[in-house]
Amino acid sequence: MDYAIQQIVNALAFGSEYALLALGLALVFSIMGLVNFAHGEIIAVAGYSVFFAVALGLQSVLGAVTIAIVMGIVTALVFERVAFRPVRYAPTTTGLLTAFGVSIVVQNMLTLFVSPKARAVPVLGPLNQTFFIGPYAVSSLQLLELAVTIVAIVALVLFLNRSLLGLAIRAAARDFSTVRLMGVKANRVIATGFALSGFLAGVVSVFILARRGSVEPDFGSAPVIKAFVACVLGGFGSLAGAAVGGMVLGFLDVAILVALPQKFGGLRDALTYFLVGVVLFWRPQGLLGRTVELGDKEV
Amino acid sequence: MTTSQSSAAPAPTDRSMPPLLRSVLGGLVVAVPVVVIGVLILWLAPPYQVRIAFAGYVNLVIVVGLQIFMGNANIGNFGHSAFVGVGAYFVAILATPLAAKKLSIPNAPFGLSQVVLDPIVAAVVALGIVGVLALLTGFIISRLSGIAASIVTLSLLIISHGVFINYTDLFKGAQAFFGIPVVIGLPTAIAVAVAAIVVARVFRDSQDGVQLRASADDVLAARAFGVNVVRLRFKAWVLSALVCGSAGIMYAYFMGAVIARAFFFQQVFLTLAMLILGGMRTVSGAVVGCAILSIGLEAIRSLESGATIMGVQLPEMLGLSGLSLGAVIVLGMAFRPNGIMGRLELDELAAGWLRRLRRS
Repeated sequence: MDYAIQQIVNALAFGSEYALLALGLALVFSIMGLVNFAHGEIIAVAGYSVFFAVALGLQSVLGAVTIAIVMGIVTALVFERVAFRPVRYAPTTTGLLTAFGVSIVVQNMLTLFVSPKARAVPVLGPLNQTFFIGPYAVSSLQLLELAVTIVAIVALVLFLNRSLLGLAIRAAARDFSTVRLMGVKANRVIATGFALSGFLAGVVSVFILARRGSVEPDFGSAPVIKAFVACVLGGFGSLAGAAVGGMVLGFLDVAILVALPQKFGGLRDALTYFLVGVVLFWRPQGLLGRTVELGDKEV
Repeated sequence: MTTSQSSAAPAPTDRSMPPLLRSVLGGLVVAVPVVVIGVLILWLAPPYQVRIAFAGYVNLVIVVGLQIFMGNANIGNFGHSAFVGVGAYFVAILATPLAAKKLSIPNAPFGLSQVVLDPIVAAVVALGIVGVLALLTGFIISRLSGIAASIVTLSLLIISHGVFINYTDLFKGAQAFFGIPVVIGLPTAIAVAVAAIVVARVFRDSQDGVQLRASADDVLAARAFGVNVVRLRFKAWVLSALVCGSAGIMYAYFMGAVIARAFFFQQVFLTLAMLILGGMRTVSGAVVGCAILSIGLEAIRSLESGATIMGVQLPEMLGLSGLSLGAVIVLGMAFRPNGIMGRLELDELAAGWLRRLRRS
């Protein structure tokens, strides 16, 4: 029983991290149809900013968190302005490749100008402490991840449902031209979408930093591939789908880790992706996606 | 995108020629630079550069194979390296001499550690295995579209990598599988590349290819005209897998060793970048993209390790090649969103120019 609870907490923590990442991807995709593989590099830049701040003498946890989030937002906005605006109306594959390009450029700049090796960033260590609730060993970071994810999702839902700009974003996901006809500036909607996604990336960056205590050039890219899968699993472009897909993937990961004998431990990713393939064969539109017949009008 | 790009493509070459001949000739025209560059390298370059060039030709065959499915069906594919890996590993398992096998895979199942086939037979068998796997996976992938299909191809890549790494009895795990007989050289690679280009071009121009491209532009319209989209995607998938598998076989027979991580994300992203940068709608795009990135990256790589230019010793700059690769991609996509070649093949472009010259 203890073990089961422990693993469920693990799964929730993994799942919330995937969900945060997937939400960042889904936001941008739903607005402008961009599969943003450079999301991981927003996380990496946020992480490296904390590394530089620490090198310059920063000590406080709160300061580090602020820097990560602010730099996440700034980086996302810069990416949008410099790289993604020119390909805004291009086919999906073009945007995808641009995002790859940005990701490769940033990773290699970090390699070239900082170091190809991991660099220690101990400042967020205090966030990751183990304590006991009764008999259960709980990591403060896991609880924090879960709590922050819930708060972030609630805040996002409130923003999207209650504010004018949120309304514009939701409408843009359906039909961008009509939104523009209503007098909303396209640039503002897209920039807001990127800023939100950058904010989420900054938050994830704090979590990864607190857990690993170091940064390296491919800091963010591996988790983002998982998050991309989570998005598709939940239904691409749907925000609720991204959150659900993230959670499902988290549970799938942990379940496979627990159920698989040690000998086949290396097949964990293979099995996860196999199950993802099965789910997609069964529901190509994702778990929460709507079935759209060809030629259907938007309902 | 609705301006039907494929069906309205003009056919500037002589209409009196049989279509098949026209496609083959067109493919050969596209292959001319490939042969010229290859011959120059054979003639002038030192052996280590021949080795680099060979890797470039392997990539070319992969990119052309990728184009067959991705360019015609317009579905992002991340799984092609799985077939490259399967091709390479199975010739390694089948053709490696017994002595080397005793060291690398003494416990292979089905008594495979006792079997040695002639390299050509091994290649045919390996290609057969690639074909069977392509049939099985194609059944699923041809029924999906858009991003779900792309993710399933990504799953295929990760599953194949997981199996290569973890099925140590057969694939020797994460270490290199060595001792494969080195039976081919650059001339064979050039020949295979030319063959791949012609095959891809004939498929693109065939009835199936045209219908598939039409369905990529507008599935609904294509279906309304009675196009069997699933069957066509399936055909393209299998053909694409076979071409990629041959690239893997070539790789194993030249390098003499294979390693699982060579068939993973790095190769996938590099070949994808080549195809999309060149323009995935044409075979010429695959060739042009591959040539630009291969040559460019090699030039930059020599700078990276600290070259001496006009007496100035440059410092070692790790990451420079990656940086330029990314920059080329971002700029290329910003200025030519449909890739360098757009929608016309090289020979079609050339024929167009000729005609305009004649008219003026």
